[in-house]
Amino acid sequence: MRELELFFGPQHLGMVGNFSITLKVEGDRILKADANPGFLHRGFEKLMENRTWMQNFPLVCRINVVEPDHMELIYSMAVEKLAGIEVPERGKFIRSIYCEMARVGSHLFGLWAYANMLGFDTVAHWAMYHRDLLLDLFEELTGARVYHIYLRPGGVRRDFPDGFTDRLVETLHKIGGKVPDYNATFFENSIFKKRAEGIGTVTREEAIRMGAVGHTIKATGMKYDIRKIEPYDAYDQVDFDIPVRTGGDAYSRLLTIRDDMIESVHMIFKLIDKMPKSGEVYTKTPNPFKWTIPEGEAYVRCESSRGELGLYIVSNGGEKPYRVHFNTPSYNHGLTVLEKALVGESVSDVGNIMISLYVVAPEIDR
Amino acid sequence: MEELKKKLLAYFTDLTIQIHDDYRMCINTQKETVVSLLNYLKNMGYEHFALLSCIDWIDKGEFELIYILSAYMEVCDKYQEKEQGIIIIKARISRDDAKVISVINVFENAEPYERELHEMFGIKFEGHPRLTPLMLEREYEIPPFRKDFDTLKYVDNTFGKIPSIEERKANYERT
Repeated sequence: MRELELFFGPQHLGMVGNFSITLKVEGDRILKADANPGFLHRGFEKLMENRTWMQNFPLVCRINVVEPDHMELIYSMAVEKLAGIEVPERGKFIRSIYCEMARVGSHLFGLWAYANMLGFDTVAHWAMYHRDLLLDLFEELTGARVYHIYLRPGGVRRDFPDGFTDRLVETLHKIGGKVPDYNATFFENSIFKKRAEGIGTVTREEAIRMGAVGHTIKATGMKYDIRKIEPYDAYDQVDFDIPVRTGGDAYSRLLTIRDDMIESVHMIFKLIDKMPKSGEVYTKTPNPFKWTIPEGEAYVRCESSRGELGLYIVSNGGEKPYRVHFNTPSYNHGLTVLEKALVGESVSDVGNIMISLYVVAPEIDR
Repeated sequence: MEELKKKLLAYFTDLTIQIHDDYRMCINTQKETVVSLLNYLKNMGYEHFALLSCIDWIDKGEFELIYILSAYMEVCDKYQEKEQGIIIIKARISRDDAKVISVINVFENAEPYERELHEMFGIKFEGHPRLTPLMLEREYEIPPFRKDFDTLKYVDNTFGKIPSIEERKANYERT
């Protein structure tokens, strides 16, 4: 049969985000895939070298559109490490609760993308509605719906409003009550199972070789989670489990994401119980216009909803960072794992595999 | 980490090693040693290639390449022992003759990182099969992430100068 070159994306119905893949196909089978990023490259790492430490926050949170909160967290952690700032105890708990809320919201968004892509419109609408309920809480807490800029070096911007935790628990119960419906219509639906089982399989050896993190490696049975390996904030003070599966295919990845979401909700309840009832939520930092940070370098990492997120930052003792480099989970997944996972699959499964690997294009481009 | 330090110092000659309190090990080395050092560490269990980065030290006329490795840990009990942290390997190369040997034979996922550094800093990775542009669409005289690349000047020259507020006010009053 004749070989054809097929341009998949950025203007394609099956493509989520500004990303493109050049496929070499024979009939319906993919022989070779070339990822082609850069449609959203804004040069943030270069721009950040020309802005002061605090001015960088509006840039940092725009690196990942779906969950800006972990980007704020990692940048704050890096600045704290360079400047030697400690976070107060209550601030740590608020940060953890806030990041788990962001994780649930991000997973719901991912669920929307996946269900929408496969034509499960009902589930997609539920997921979007439930994410909206969380966004309402974010709006009450921070004043913004998507880009919150709530975390800052030294803690969080302000304390929880009165009765906020009660409303949070109520909302999470409302979302959790819908889990059986999600299971019946989507996760245990035989139409979905047939579509996702055995698709885009990545074995344990391949995942390790290609540097996979997050759900791609958890779906192969490995409990690799930075919240356990290198606990930050309040994660060492609560008990939680890391959900894993052993299949390594798209279905296992989706189930890992669902279990992770449920585990996050349970963790928020535990964190609220253990949280100190009063106290400071941030440490005072110097005037942001004159803030110089001592010379040095730091590599910090946290577990975002897509996997291990790292930041390498260098200061030369000035008012601005000297070099910033984000190590985002989608970079490996979108450029290395995706190219390998697509070979031998059908053209109709490209979007399916890409979303199950949880690739977000702005995170690759930065 | 102390044990690993002893082993490394016995095996390689040109290393300076510092261990920081938060389980970060910092290794300074020469660019010729990097590939064999990465191979050695990979066999010691540091299988996760986390990041390849570059810093432009323009005052010294050097690029500093940063390779960051960590370990995949599986069993939950092992987390608490924290035997394995993060290893940061640094090698300096000259800015005028920016060439280094590619590490994709050791770590497969270094491929896009090397492509990006080639595009953004103009470093040539010898042995890399496709050093084609990854993100950018234009050709640049100076690779854009180097310190001597002036973003504002480039924008003014390429897309036209944006008038200042005073000039715009004057134009507005004239019309």
